[in-house]
Amino acid sequence: MADSELYTAADCGRRNGDRKEEILRIFPRGLREILGSAGTDFGRLQEIRLRTGRPLMIVSGGREWFLEENGRLTAWPERAHVVSREEMVRTVECMGNYSLYAFEEEIRQGFLTMPGGHRVGLAGKAVSDEKGIRTIRYISFLNIRLAHQIKGCADPVMPYLQEDGQVFHTLIISPPRCGKTTLLRDVIRQLSDGILAAGKKPGDRTGGKSRNETAGRGFTVGVVDERSELAACCGGVPQNDLGIRTDVLDCCPKALGMMMLVRSMSPDVIAVDEIGGLDDLEAVRYVMNCGCRLVATVHGSSLEDAAEKPVLRELVRERVFQRYIVLSGRKSAGTVEEILDENGRLLYGEAMTGKTASDRAQNRKDSSFFCGDDHTAEAGSGERSLLCG
Amino acid sequence: MWLRLIGCVCVTAACGGLGIMKARQWSDHRKMLEQLRKMIYLLRGEILYAHAPLGEALRRVGDKSSGPGAAWFGKMAERVRNQEGDSFYTIWGEELDRQGKKLLLSRREYQELRELGEHLGYLDLDMQDRTIALYLEQLDMSIGFYREHERERIRMCASLGIMSGLFLAVILC
Repeated sequence: MADSELYTAADCGRRNGDRKEEILRIFPRGLREILGSAGTDFGRLQEIRLRTGRPLMIVSGGREWFLEENGRLTAWPERAHVVSREEMVRTVECMGNYSLYAFEEEIRQGFLTMPGGHRVGLAGKAVSDEKGIRTIRYISFLNIRLAHQIKGCADPVMPYLQEDGQVFHTLIISPPRCGKTTLLRDVIRQLSDGILAAGKKPGDRTGGKSRNETAGRGFTVGVVDERSELAACCGGVPQNDLGIRTDVLDCCPKALGMMMLVRSMSPDVIAVDEIGGLDDLEAVRYVMNCGCRLVATVHGSSLEDAAEKPVLRELVRERVFQRYIVLSGRKSAGTVEEILDENGRLLYGEAMTGKTASDRAQNRKDSSFFCGDDHTAEAGSGERSLLCG
Repeated sequence: MWLRLIGCVCVTAACGGLGIMKARQWSDHRKMLEQLRKMIYLLRGEILYAHAPLGEALRRVGDKSSGPGAAWFGKMAERVRNQEGDSFYTIWGEELDRQGKKLLLSRREYQELRELGEHLGYLDLDMQDRTIALYLEQLDMSIGFYREHERERIRMCASLGIMSGLFLAVILC
């Protein structure tokens, strides 16, 4: 494994057979047979896509395939099994446990969570009224995103997130599909279980004791899971392991949920996915002023990128977050590009290893976003003058 | 002579017994429909107020009830939970066929109950409410009919039994 890659598909601890059965149970008989005989490793399966009148597709190991009637993988769409309207209706029926009325709220939000934490994205004809989207009719497009909790993927970053028994306010910055939610999930688990990843750091070639987990102080973690992505609650029970001291507020708006958790569950740490809304700003300040630590994620490809968002710009300027972890999909999903402190000082990054120093120096010339002047910080020093506060 | 007399009494008693048994079936049928109505009301509550998925709702109602209806609901809940890939209507119909005889339903009642399964779980809560309400209306009419004619039916069956027994006895003598 490359040093700064957090995980690969092979790290997934789920047993292949169980996973296969769990996935196949989502589908009605016909599609179940096709997928069941598919010559693919279910451990590496990432997505199954169904579109009415279009070929049945899967994404496995980062590659897209079509499925023939006999389950054989093909790159030719014309050979593939075409999903019929009847199959789509039956699939939705199966996924909704024959009870779509019980999942009206989830359908309104455009997704269902299956046992095992798999998420089904839905699209079709949206029926809306003055209050917003009421439901989705004629569901014709399904994207089954398969859960892949990767225990231990946060090992390399955990040493940067704690000091003297205190967790730093942390922001994970990552473009879509680069592993920010997966990383956050494992950070939550490790903080909650009191696992102190003592060994491996990103870039640590020699001394890394991969997956070396030692007992540390466990923190009570409150998770506001607005889109059921972190815990993947099904029937109120988290399908992903978020640790023994974690309380989950499922399907709750982030800003409201953060305040509710502080008042009701007295957490040490609050974790939320994808902050950035205007409502979030007040809630983030409230959480921090209450003595709770915050671990959050945001979409972006760099700190500069994330700080362009109006809400985050203020928080970054105020040096509210003490750690920034920037991820990318450069080598594979979950590549840690850099870890920065509240002053923008590089604690870990390619620049420190000198691999792409010139590239990064060039990049930083463009990072005058905060102060309005050019930044020419020395790449080797790891210093970034992002914050002029 | 005595032997004939004993024979006549036996024939009359047997025919009378048959008549009373037939009358009791009528009454049992009504009781079964009332039990079914109670279960459907519970199911409606689980769906409308607890928003429980069908598998869970059927299991809870089955646990709270007794008799062949409870077994039927329990079996359906198990199959829904197992997610065998069949449609809900298939599960409902197959299990109804298995338990149908124990439910003592007439052909028309059986058909109405089967149609209920066709629309359960489909669309939104409002649809569930309407589907169940329609079935409960049909069930109420059936129960009303059985209740209305119960007394005369019992009398008629018992009388017919005894009378036919006496008639047979006279012929045999």
